[in-house]
Amino acid sequence: MLLTSVILVLREVLEAALLLSILLAMSRFLALQTRWIYIALTAGVLGSVVYGQYLGTVSELFEGMGQEIVNAALQFTIYGLLLLIGVLLILNRSGEARYLQLLQWAMVLAVALAALREGAEIYIYLIAFREQAELLQGALLGALIGGGIGFSIGALFYYLLLGLPRRRRLICALVLLSLVAAGLCLQATQLLEQADWLPAQQPLWDTSGLLSENSVMGQLLYALLGYEATPTPNVIAAYLIGLVLMVTLLISVWLKTRMPGVAVDVYV
Amino acid sequence: MKLPSENPVRIFVALTALLLPMVVNAARPVLELEIRDHLFYPSVLKIPANTKVKLIVYNRDPTPEEFESYELNREKVIMGGQKAIVFIGPLAPGEYPFFGEFNPKTAQGKVVAE
Repeated sequence: MLLTSVILVLREVLEAALLLSILLAMSRFLALQTRWIYIALTAGVLGSVVYGQYLGTVSELFEGMGQEIVNAALQFTIYGLLLLIGVLLILNRSGEARYLQLLQWAMVLAVALAALREGAEIYIYLIAFREQAELLQGALLGALIGGGIGFSIGALFYYLLLGLPRRRRLICALVLLSLVAAGLCLQATQLLEQADWLPAQQPLWDTSGLLSENSVMGQLLYALLGYEATPTPNVIAAYLIGLVLMVTLLISVWLKTRMPGVAVDVYV
Repeated sequence: MKLPSENPVRIFVALTALLLPMVVNAARPVLELEIRDHLFYPSVLKIPANTKVKLIVYNRDPTPEEFESYELNREKVIMGGQKAIVFIGPLAPGEYPFFGEFNPKTAQGKVVAE
């Protein structure tokens, strides 16, 4: 039970932990208070319990496709929030302090939604052990270890981002956010294919021999870039559209709000 | 003024070509899979290659399970006593392993497309 728990929880936690670390690093970048993280995590945990508790009911919606549709909607919502966060980060890049309230709440919501989607699965998995006391301990310990590894990888990312020179830090974070966001579009599209809301297609290529999704590296790249070994044309299109849309928007906002070089260079 | 008279025929042909795949889709095969004591029955599921199939997974256990497959790009939580519908394929001929993420040591199976 121990190893199963470690792997399961690590897989689920990784994505939310990476997102959290990027946003937390950006909060530090803007010298915002980082108290929002407690609100986001509390909301994420409570949301996990509620969503997990009602997942059986949710599953029966949309002719048995409720789980796919709700999860896809969650992914697209987080994508929209990351778009908003990216734009607001750029608007605040020289300490303008604009829309900070909105930015913080967008971060809270993005992390909370990411946490509750994955957290619900962990909750459902763990709650099944409540009547198997002899297994519960191993499962809980495994969950703690898995969660610990996941958040450690997040912490590593956080310190890597903070270690970068100031100007490059923002650009790196925006690139990472765009990749995570495109990955969300990919996952949502895959769910819609699973639900038969999008036509079925054969994968365009298969790179599982090169890098298995099942491997540690595959999992990390899945969380970070949306790595998929056997993507269908629809899934690839969703990834590219999501990525191009976000990058184009961010670049155009950046160019429109270009500050006189001196003002930015002071911080570099 | 020759062209307009040909149009209805063309439209009919075009519509048939468009609708035919839908008719074929409607007749997609349905397969059933059961989870009992954290095991899949049957553990080998043969499906026609290059065809989309509707897979109904019954979880007969009181505990939840997650149907998961990297090769099929599918993941779905199935609560204890519930059933779930998962569409898979069209698949090229080959083997596609799946497992129960909550009990991966025992709940193992594969789809064989041929």
